[in-house]
Amino acid sequence: MTANSVGRYRIGVDIGGTFTDGTLVDSTTGRVTTSKVLSTPSDPASGFISAVQKLLDLDDSVKPEDIEHVVHATTVATNAIIEGKTAKTAFVTTEGFRDMLEIARQIRPSLYDLQFEKPAPLVPRQLCFEVPERLDAKGQVVTPLNEAALDKVVDRIAESGVEAVAVCLLHSYRNGDHEQRIGKAISAKLPNVIISLSSDVVPEFREYLRASTTVINSSVAPIVSTYLASISEKLQEAKITSELLVMQSNGGVYPAEAASENPVFMVESGPAAGAVAAASLGTALGHPNVISFDMGGTTAKASLIRNGKPNITKDYSVGGAAQSGTGAFGGASGYPIRTPVVDLVEIGAGGGSIAWVDSGGALRVGPQSAGADPGPVCYGLGGDQSTITDANLVLGRLDPEYFAGGEMSLNLEAARDAIRIQCAEPLGLSIEEAAHGIIEIANTAMVNALRLVSVQRGHDPRDFMLVGFGGAGPAHAVRLAEQAGIPRVLIPQGPGTASALGLLVTDVRMEGSSTLIIRADEIEHARITSEFDRLEAAGREAHRVAASASGPPVFERAIEMRYWGQSFELSVPAPARPTIDQTWIDDLTESFHGAHEMAYGFRANDEPVELVNLRLTTIGKIARPQMRKLESTGSDVSVIPKGERPVYFAENSGVKGVVHTPVYDRSKLPAGAVFDGPAIIEEPDCTTVIHPAWTVTIDEFGNLVIEINS
Amino acid sequence: MTTHAIDPIKFEVIRNALTQAAEEMAIALRRSAYSTNVKTRQDFSCAFFDKDLRSVAQAFTQPVHLGSFVRHVPVAVKRYGPENLDPGDMILSNDPYGGGVHLNDISLIGPVFYEDQLVGYTACLAHHVDVGGGAPASVGAFREVFQEGIIIPPIKFVVNGELDADLFRLVLSQIRSKRETAGDFRAQIASNRTGAIRVGEIIDKYGIDEFNQYIDEIIEYTDRRTRSEVAKLPNGVFQAEGFIDNDGFTDDVVKLAVKITIDDDGVRFDTTGSDPQRRAPVNSTFAQTFSACAYALRALMDRDLPVNDGFYRYVHVDAPEGTVTNCVHPAPVVGGWETHVRLNDLIFEALSSALPDAVCAGTKSMQCHAGFGGENHETGEYYCFLETLAGGYGGRSTSDGPDAVQSHGQNTENAPVEETESNYPVRITRYELVPDSEGPGEFRGGLGLRRDYMFPEEATFTILADRDKFGPRGLFGGENGSKSIYAIIKDGEEEHLSSKTTVQLKPGDVISYRTSGGGGYGEPFKRDPQVILEDALQGKISIERARERYGVDIDISRQQVNKQTTEELRSAK
Repeated sequence: MTANSVGRYRIGVDIGGTFTDGTLVDSTTGRVTTSKVLSTPSDPASGFISAVQKLLDLDDSVKPEDIEHVVHATTVATNAIIEGKTAKTAFVTTEGFRDMLEIARQIRPSLYDLQFEKPAPLVPRQLCFEVPERLDAKGQVVTPLNEAALDKVVDRIAESGVEAVAVCLLHSYRNGDHEQRIGKAISAKLPNVIISLSSDVVPEFREYLRASTTVINSSVAPIVSTYLASISEKLQEAKITSELLVMQSNGGVYPAEAASENPVFMVESGPAAGAVAAASLGTALGHPNVISFDMGGTTAKASLIRNGKPNITKDYSVGGAAQSGTGAFGGASGYPIRTPVVDLVEIGAGGGSIAWVDSGGALRVGPQSAGADPGPVCYGLGGDQSTITDANLVLGRLDPEYFAGGEMSLNLEAARDAIRIQCAEPLGLSIEEAAHGIIEIANTAMVNALRLVSVQRGHDPRDFMLVGFGGAGPAHAVRLAEQAGIPRVLIPQGPGTASALGLLVTDVRMEGSSTLIIRADEIEHARITSEFDRLEAAGREAHRVAASASGPPVFERAIEMRYWGQSFELSVPAPARPTIDQTWIDDLTESFHGAHEMAYGFRANDEPVELVNLRLTTIGKIARPQMRKLESTGSDVSVIPKGERPVYFAENSGVKGVVHTPVYDRSKLPAGAVFDGPAIIEEPDCTTVIHPAWTVTIDEFGNLVIEINS
Repeated sequence: MTTHAIDPIKFEVIRNALTQAAEEMAIALRRSAYSTNVKTRQDFSCAFFDKDLRSVAQAFTQPVHLGSFVRHVPVAVKRYGPENLDPGDMILSNDPYGGGVHLNDISLIGPVFYEDQLVGYTACLAHHVDVGGGAPASVGAFREVFQEGIIIPPIKFVVNGELDADLFRLVLSQIRSKRETAGDFRAQIASNRTGAIRVGEIIDKYGIDEFNQYIDEIIEYTDRRTRSEVAKLPNGVFQAEGFIDNDGFTDDVVKLAVKITIDDDGVRFDTTGSDPQRRAPVNSTFAQTFSACAYALRALMDRDLPVNDGFYRYVHVDAPEGTVTNCVHPAPVVGGWETHVRLNDLIFEALSSALPDAVCAGTKSMQCHAGFGGENHETGEYYCFLETLAGGYGGRSTSDGPDAVQSHGQNTENAPVEETESNYPVRITRYELVPDSEGPGEFRGGLGLRRDYMFPEEATFTILADRDKFGPRGLFGGENGSKSIYAIIKDGEEEHLSSKTTVQLKPGDVISYRTSGGGGYGEPFKRDPQVILEDALQGKISIERARERYGVDIDISRQQVNKQTTEELRSAK
């Protein structure tokens, strides 16, 4: 490998429910190549490698050995949880606490609903086992681990035929010894079973939250590790030997081996990539406040970005209902995890969402999706239920001959028939009216998602720009902005694969933490030094795997602190002093008082302060690719439609019914061009619908900036 | 002031920004609080009231508070006199006979000014773990309210932004858990300040006139939606009666009665026929009874209906003075929430004939307090701890009652074992479901739970609960859930205790709670045998019980239902 080829190209691959998107960036020129293939849910790795292969085929100057690294975002973990397809898993805990997962937090997910359900535990009660042992709150042994009883439990686990085991003992965040011994006993007998120990995954107190996080980790680990192994194998076959990195839920990336061991950090991998992409784009264009809207084939996701950063939360539940506000009980509808996640709202509305008429005679859309297989009716791949994509086609918003850049033709008649039989006739509507109803109902749900992240968090959508992407995003974004009161929409270059680009504009981040729970006036300084040294050594070791893909390791040290007696910590950066001494402690304490005053409006100078966790983040910087400007066309910014077709609009008072609408080829639109809606803008991976009363401007990078006419 | 047409987007933005302000108050309170009851179990509520003391926006926490709090805050402010409040002031109050509830629930209320003009009030209520009185955690059976703890009429607690140091010392000196309670008071102040800042930001953007105009519209919008929801309810008169097991001093049951009249004018709840108030901890103040009725009505309405003054004005309550549903001075009130939550069960039972698909069978419907305290030898401090335990929920027309969950107006989290043991000298030795505690039914009730507390040091423990005489009622042929058991275990010997009692513990003693299961819904013999098989495989229902109560014969070794014997058992009934 020659020196100048190293670091030349990077590949991002984002697998969604319907499509798998690939992006290749030449980091020296900023040139972006994209690919889009149908996802292959039965074997996602084969869709992955087709997307990569297609990228290499598109540009034969790129050699597999020139690839610096490959970054991947995947919903494989989340899907397993949502679809109830997690691995068969056992749970081992302290005697007397077998029902920890069943009882959960003893609360109802919604206050006034007499028909509520508690989510079913991911481990059924017959696979929850107790072991006699007990630690106290200081981590000291009260009851030694009963090895004989443990052997019997291991035998029962062996008989049950599980693929994974989660172990969470009381107070193990203080002392992981019993968990370690249980882990060893299980692996001695069952070497192929994946074992997650709560003291490794998330060593934080509050047993249910730690147990839930650990159970999710173990129950998706068999699926994720098999999956990542098959991807690595396929990359090897394609002669790509560089590092495979995986997007985490917090917007950073980590090596595939870390992901296989700790998949709970990547449950929201795909959505995080979209938010990172929107944040990066907004910042580059001078719009640090944007709402990211990513609509694919199966779901739509919205997140709010302020000052260029997505909001990160540790109060997150997987598989929960869309939360209204920061409601205290929203989390009780899913499975809580205590790992950092980009704050977003995801709803079951995508191009493949199925339209149906319910028993009460109401037209409904989703949450069932035809996905990629069998897909919408118009794909002609065996799907027989009408979807949002079928409705867009019937309304003229998609071109049957120019789908996926003309690689795939769509069957308009089949889509019309399905909507006629399944929706229009039962409701006594015309086919167009029914199709339009499908779009508007889906839009209502998506507008609600936009409001959840903006209005419901007290932010006025009028102060934001909507960044619309994902395969189906640009077809809906303008109408959604109209309904949500957002005056400006941006559709980036390559909107169908923008999420995959998000994979290439972030850094390697690995979090390490150590629980102290000790008062500042009682701590030994040397202990902080030695714990940080230990975390740094572990961070360096973890970074070695990602060394070829990123810059040398940089460390961020923070201490999670609280007043002695509180339960919630504030994260305070470590004072920048070379040695940890009393001055260091004093500076840290003062920073905490200040942070507390900032957050809650008061400081309690006389109250003892407690150091709860030391946190060390190891960062491997990855240089951002340049954004590429459109080639100048001089002063000529005229645009000529490539054609015209009838499109059905009924949303605006001034326009109703079929309108002859110009159709533009996006690749021919020069920087500086300005034109009015209604219009359709086509490009290989998606179609942007410009509604009447909106104006499009092409900026210097080729983004579509669409603003409402005042 | 000029009125403009309502802009629907602005309306949604302001409405949600106010709700968000209340939510942020809740976050500030929770995150800066000290006691487990507030910081973890979320036994608190926050709200914004307009300048006319109408409730506008509430944080989504405990419905019991939200119904009662909206009555207490206006009374407290009017008693103190809004003209006596200046910017930066806050008043404290917990007076049960001044619109309040039990003494532990202390409200802190601050006026919000914008450029010297009063624009509303931020208020928060927290259940303080101790307010003095006759037993740690201020729960227990007493004869008069004076024995239950410190009674605080509306007093100016924060003056021009500063806590009144003398008053603070006076209040704290009545209280056992001084350090935690001091922290919780500071958190309440932080909560109100946070709310005031957020409200100020909203007014910065829209101006006072428009702010007030949109508040009116928020309340009117809720009124319109509530009216149309009330119109959907069936007209008629519906009644039910039930009993609290005992009053803590005598074993006599306490009768509760409720009559609900629904007509075109709205919904009226009448508790005439309930027993006279007792010199015992079972009396509910009017605010508590109002809260029970408000919760029940809200639960029958559209899930996304906002709750503010526009809703509460439809809740009409007639509770005769001097009864356990509207007690008068100086009756003790600490157990008023037990009465409150039982009224919820009765209201749904009364409405079950008219709304069989909307209601649920009997739930645990008790607060089920566990309060304890004593000297913590490690810190040298007097500590107090309080929590409430879940039980089984009632079966519904198409689904089982969930296991081990809070019911109705109560939705407090459990205290994590690790957090509890880190802060207090106690060890939780069991926390598990109670098999066979469900009320059998086509849709069974949920299981109750067991929690055992072992004390390594001497301590005082109070049980303030119910259901040791009657389990939650079944509906439409469903059977009652199990009764609760409260026990003390000394040297391995178990002895049952009353549901309302205070005991002195020696090192090594264990207190054990086994809470009731929920009532069943529909005939147990109609329950799907495959579902019972699953219950049996999970160990939630024993094979014997499956056979006797459900007529299902399970072959556990082959993990299947024995069809022939099941048919025989079921046809024999």
